[in-house]
Amino acid sequence: MPITAKPQAALFIAGHGSTENPDSSVPYFDHADEIRKRGLFAEVHCIFWKEEPSFREAWYLTDCEEVYVVPDFISEGYFTQDVIPRELELTGPTTTVRGKTIHYCAPVGVHPSMTQLLLRRAKEVAPDVDPTQTTLIIVGHGTNLNPNSTKAIKDQCNLLRLQTEIPYAAVLDTYMEEQPFIADWHTLAETPNVVVVPFFISDGLHSYQDIPVLLGFESEVGAAASQREVFRHNPHELHGRKLYYSSAIGTERLIADVILDQIHDFDQLHSNTTHDTH
Amino acid sequence: MTRIEILQQLLDQGFHRIGQIEILRAESLASPPPCAYLLCHEDDIEDVQNASGQPSGFSESSNPFDARDISTYADDGEYRFTKGQINLKRRWVMHLEDITALHEAIENFYPSNFSLWLAQQRGTLEVQTLRDKLNRQTGMYRFARSISNEGAQRLVQRVCGPAHQCAKKILWQIDADTPLEDSEASRFNGIGSGLAEPHAIPLLCREACNHFVAECRKESKKEFEAKAQA
Ligand code: SF4
Repeated sequence: MPITAKPQAALFIAGHGSTENPDSSVPYFDHADEIRKRGLFAEVHCIFWKEEPSFREAWYLTDCEEVYVVPDFISEGYFTQDVIPRELELTGPTTTVRGKTIHYCAPVGVHPSMTQLLLRRAKEVAPDVDPTQTTLIIVGHGTNLNPNSTKAIKDQCNLLRLQTEIPYAAVLDTYMEEQPFIADWHTLAETPNVVVVPFFISDGLHSYQDIPVLLGFESEVGAAASQREVFRHNPHELHGRKLYYSSAIGTERLIADVILDQIHDFDQLHSNTTHDTH
Repeated sequence: MTRIEILQQLLDQGFHRIGQIEILRAESLASPPPCAYLLCHEDDIEDVQNASGQPSGFSESSNPFDARDISTYADDGEYRFTKGQINLKRRWVMHLEDITALHEAIENFYPSNFSLWLAQQRGTLEVQTLRDKLNRQTGMYRFARSISNEGAQRLVQRVCGPAHQCAKKILWQIDADTPLEDSEASRFNGIGSGLAEPHAIPLLCREACNHFVAECRKESKKEFEAKAQA
């Protein structure tokens, strides 16, 4: 959905980041670059929990009085509902704080337009497979601590099942740490081809090492060393199937569109709700 | 005044160094390349000047956001956990078309540093104590908050300051009533080049970095284990 330009406003893309893995913040910067190119905002900044600049330093980055904050997170949860609002001193969808009006949007992962990106990614990683002979598996972390993270994946899988553009034989949601387990992919999927897309924002240990080990094409020891190499050996012939493995969905540059979609939806939903704090 | 106007004023007053980066005005070169400013590593100034901004064997870029790629790893391949580290790569030059691009480049080489410095000048910078930072940690880093004040003081001297590769000026205290003990790290003024202001502006540490937080976690674990054994 196109949004009107906001030449007076700044956009903050809020990400987790990592102290040890620089690849982890690459997607956020890519998304910011992509949006910057479109010239919709006066400024576009990335802010982080675990990298510089921190959420708490966000105030100082811009002189714009209006700021949109979009969490570049895969689901609603502790970070989007507790940490980011606390760090940015937000009390509602729109908060006026320190002389700035901050609009706090929903995280990218819960937007319905993610469906198109998942399809695109699945098509990219296995361009020549017959979809009617292919199972598309979306894999998430899965944990009892945050039921929302599994909900975001289930919602996407439902949308993927409903679409008719690419008629996959089946679409399955699976998890690393809860049922249905990704490790059981070969019993869950009944087709000769299987495409696996990790539902994470960035590539890191989960997509480089943990999931490849659970899928069975990397051994436990030293698997992480191959890092991005892990995505370059498709298809893997395993259990009599052809397995295609993609990098994390968040590394897709067009997440930029989903960020803009979240801003569009925010504007539609909340036109006049401002909370003043200080 | 806008931040760009303030940066312009600062340049007019002689500002040309931030961290390990030298800002050269294109017009100061013998045959100026078609840009307004050039950036390079402070140890490469001569090469860049002698070659009028196009030294052979240097990577060249005109996109200020390339600053991020240049500054992610050190020459030895090490990930630079804070951009305050004094192991910035050499042998690159950036040609920037105008002062807005210059602002973007320096804010990407040293994330938010010019903004923090500006807020300090404007009197609006709020510093975060170490305790405040540690108390807000989540997940496995929650444990970091158990570190003793003595342990934290020792860590500053072991982790911060140019002797340990970080050239930021520490603005924070342990808590509102506990300043940092006097040491090389706590005294450091944030200008590794030794230049005076306004020729350089300091790198500022307004909150302990996440590497420091990770070290606090390790240290508090050690303290806990030592107590358990005693
Ligand atoms: S906490 Fe210490 S090591 Fe980390 S950025 Fe600040 S001064 Fe540097």
